[in-house]
Amino acid sequence: MHIDVRGQLVRDPWFLAGMGLALALGLLTLLGPMLTPHDPHDMSFQPLTPPSAVHWLGVNDGGMDIFSELLYGMQNTVGFGLFTGLIALSFGMAVGLAAAWFGGWLDQILMRLADILIAIPAVMILILTAALFRPSPMILALILAVMSWPTTAKAIRSQALIVKNRIHIQAARQMGASGSYVVVRHLMPELFPLYLIGFAAKARMAMFMEASLAFLGLSDPSRKSLGLMIGFALKYYYLDVWWNWIMPPVLLLTLLIMAVTFLAISLEKVFDPRLKEAW
Amino acid sequence: MKIFLRKHERVLAYMLAALIMIYLSYGLPGFLPGDFVTAMYSSSHVTLTADQEAEIRAFYTQREGFIHYLVNLFTLNWGYSYAFLTPTSSLILEALPWTLLLFGSAHLISMIFGFIAGVELAWRRGSFWEKIGVGSMTIMEGVPEIGSGVVLLLVFALYLGWFPSSGAETAYARQSAGEWAWDVLRHLALPLSTLILAYFPGNFLLARGSMVMVLKEQFVQTARAKGLPPLRVRYVHAARNVLLPMVTRFGLRLAFMLTGALVVETIYSYPGLGTLLFNAIGKRDLPLIQNIVLFSSLMVLLINLALDYVYGWVDPRVRHAY
Repeated sequence: MHIDVRGQLVRDPWFLAGMGLALALGLLTLLGPMLTPHDPHDMSFQPLTPPSAVHWLGVNDGGMDIFSELLYGMQNTVGFGLFTGLIALSFGMAVGLAAAWFGGWLDQILMRLADILIAIPAVMILILTAALFRPSPMILALILAVMSWPTTAKAIRSQALIVKNRIHIQAARQMGASGSYVVVRHLMPELFPLYLIGFAAKARMAMFMEASLAFLGLSDPSRKSLGLMIGFALKYYYLDVWWNWIMPPVLLLTLLIMAVTFLAISLEKVFDPRLKEAW
Repeated sequence: MKIFLRKHERVLAYMLAALIMIYLSYGLPGFLPGDFVTAMYSSSHVTLTADQEAEIRAFYTQREGFIHYLVNLFTLNWGYSYAFLTPTSSLILEALPWTLLLFGSAHLISMIFGFIAGVELAWRRGSFWEKIGVGSMTIMEGVPEIGSGVVLLLVFALYLGWFPSSGAETAYARQSAGEWAWDVLRHLALPLSTLILAYFPGNFLLARGSMVMVLKEQFVQTARAKGLPPLRVRYVHAARNVLLPMVTRFGLRLAFMLTGALVVETIYSYPGLGTLLFNAIGKRDLPLIQNIVLFSSLMVLLINLALDYVYGWVDPRVRHAY
């Protein structure tokens, strides 16, 4: 992978579009609470007020400021996605590298476990636990991460198996480098692009899941989320609220998923030598 | 590198996955805290009679054996829904055809047309239409079902009023068979379009990407050099190699796409499993939620198992590999 990937990435319009969107949305997420004077849980406003200078997007049926709901909901959705992506990636890295490096029965056991987990639909486990126990979003994110590491682990394992037999790693071993030294200094850095690809894919899936579960009414109703807002707003579709209440969370969620998708597609395209030719 | 497991190993993996799902469905309620029935239903809109409350409590405190649970599962003895006062099995089996119609036709259409569009545009690589196609489909790949679904609902059902906004057929209408079919189609139009918008881009992009790679292979050059008609080179020689990655992707993403389908059904109140689940969640009908989850999981596993046989049919190399 010693090619000018950075240059290629910067020249890729999808990467630029995704990065631009991600930066803008990231800024909005970080600065969110500073941009609005209202507490999203404050229910003291006149319900269903149309937008005004005080309430930029109006007030919802429960007397809460829609604009501040939007900013806080965005924080929750993004946070859930990044957290799940990070944990899933860590599991995937650990398992993939261990399976490739040690091989043998450990490899067999880990990969068979991965096959079983891939077969189980993660969303169903999430729905079941969410409906039965109403756990915190953190627990749901952990469950989702535990369910979704196998594809990343498999990708990392197969690439690690190739890199493991390259000459420089053989050389390092011949010179007496310990296993952990070779893994940390030689193997892990070479697989770096796979981490980015895996992270982007998992974060995208997690944001989508969070929005869907909240939309279906499975998350804590007092926890702001874009999906939850869409679900509530749709109940009032017959009022003239589509442009100030329904569309803003829909648009924000779409832009969010779009940003991550563009980044994922562009990373895969630039880093996967087989795919690159196809574009 | 071993990509495909031996067939019996895969079947074993699916069986274990199924067993895990059944066991979770059986065992998880056992971890519910003390008097969860009161905690759960006191804050909800559902009011239970004393009888029902006792029944739910009995349902969740009984410790029937796992074997007994399995027997009940296979004899469709799935318990009662407290919100709908009907056996959950009949509710699920009633909703199933609508979900199969919606989900199945969406996948069939997106796969067939994604395949054809991908193959054709890969053949015309570098043309104006290819660039437009790839660009617009990459953008569409980033739009979640929840987004496109709401927009289609607002524009075509509420603003323009061309299509009904909810349901799968007009209730209590006396119709001839032809009228009924037309009515079902009209109700299907919006949810189906939403799902196609979600599934088509991925299929198209994958088909195009794989086809571009295949077209570089020497056997394609040979076929062209022999003077075969382009249509034959494209489909009989090259494009069949695109089918395998498409089937693989379908299997890998099936569970993920199911989430989107649940959302789309809910947006349009389409009376399939998704809407049933949504209603069950709203009414905190735990037995029903549990059974829908278990049933859908087993369906996903079954479809994945069936796909294994499709692999062998699509690609003889897989069939003869072991």
